[in-house]
Amino acid sequence: MNWSTIWSNHGLFTSGLEGTVELAATAVVTGTVVGLLVAAVRTSRVPVLAQLGRLYLEVFRGTPLLVQMLFIYFGAAYQGISNITVYEAALIALTLYEGAYMAEIFRAGIEAVPRGQWEASRVLGLGPVQTFTTVILPQTRTIVLPPLVGQYLSLIKDTSIAVVIGYVELMRQGQAVIDRTSDPVAPYLTVAALYFIICFPLSLAVRRMERKAAPA
Amino acid sequence: MLSDWTYALQDWRTYLSAAELTFNLSLAAFALALALGLLGALARGSSHAVLRAPAACYVEVIRNTPVLLQMFVAFFALPSAGVHLSPVQAGVVALGVNVGAYLTEIFRAGIQAVPRGQREAARVLALGPARTFVHVVLPQALRNVYPAVVNQLVQIILGSSLLSAISVPELTGTATVINSQNLLTVEDFGIAAVLYLVMTNLVSLAAALIARLAFKPPLRTRVRPRTLNPLRRLVPARREA
Repeated sequence: MNWSTIWSNHGLFTSGLEGTVELAATAVVTGTVVGLLVAAVRTSRVPVLAQLGRLYLEVFRGTPLLVQMLFIYFGAAYQGISNITVYEAALIALTLYEGAYMAEIFRAGIEAVPRGQWEASRVLGLGPVQTFTTVILPQTRTIVLPPLVGQYLSLIKDTSIAVVIGYVELMRQGQAVIDRTSDPVAPYLTVAALYFIICFPLSLAVRRMERKAAPA
Repeated sequence: MLSDWTYALQDWRTYLSAAELTFNLSLAAFALALALGLLGALARGSSHAVLRAPAACYVEVIRNTPVLLQMFVAFFALPSAGVHLSPVQAGVVALGVNVGAYLTEIFRAGIQAVPRGQREAARVLALGPARTFVHVVLPQALRNVYPAVVNQLVQIILGSSLLSAISVPELTGTATVINSQNLLTVEDFGIAAVLYLVMTNLVSLAAALIARLAFKPPLRTRVRPRTLNPLRRLVPARREA
């Protein structure tokens, strides 16, 4: 184990960190959008769409993220879409996979809002979309936020899976340092420490929100 | 298109045995995770800081780093510490240790949710602390945590796909190898995905059956997702772990 090589290779770790943060930040946004849309569709009464939403959840929560990523990245070329980048494939897979979990989180929140709220909004002349965004959604905050941030946490850790299809992020650069120094211990512990520094504050935030949300 | 599927399905025996490996090592990891989770929960609920602190460290370190990294550490870094594990061994250990941390928190919450009066009543009935835990607290805690624990088994099955990265010939790894030979990407990973779906659904189904047999006042089954069902507000929204 040689810790001096960690500092001399710090450029690799920072560039890896950038890759991880870029992918995670984008996927948090796109995953949340997908989750919200699917939750809205699933709680709506639109017949075919609601069932399609259910099928989407079944498939994407019942298969591994890695398989989805391989399917999208290598399958795209197979379908003649050969110019897909690893970043795009990883982003699409992460969005669909984490979005499926987020959809269920949003749904639980939406269904916890009493039905009377919908009826009252209707009486006040609000349309369904307006009701959803201005009346229902704000009320789901305390229920939705703790598990949602928890899902963001999983998402950040899951970006490491993109290393398998060759996306350059923290894990990949850690391996690059290992290739240079032929010592696996120090680089992996450094990578672990960097993930921990990102994730631990989020974990603490989740716990605080959970305590706040729990009826005392 | 159809001929591609029949061609890909010629390897069905290989897929099935790979799925079997996925299932078996998932069960092994689950057994390890259950043991670690129970020990961890007991340690975290202990009155001795000597036990509480390491358990808290275990939970925080494992839950705040990626499982793939933990697998790499178990397979590539542990040999530097003199521990040599085969890919399957390293994979089972890494998965078991990972999910054990989540189960620690689940069990702890489940034990905490058992009303205090139950312990006091057991004490009044002259049960010792060990018998109180085994006969009074644990059965009720198991009821509380059952759905979350089953969910973790599903997560293990999905997570075991990552073991292909440390060369375990499980379902995903096998699909990748077959794919490099027949180049039928959609079919190969499609077959793997279907097998994962079958396994995760079988586990959920079996778990529901076991719950029906094991829990005397039946577990409240999850209300089917209904559109804005007014009854939903009577059931507190429960978070899936």
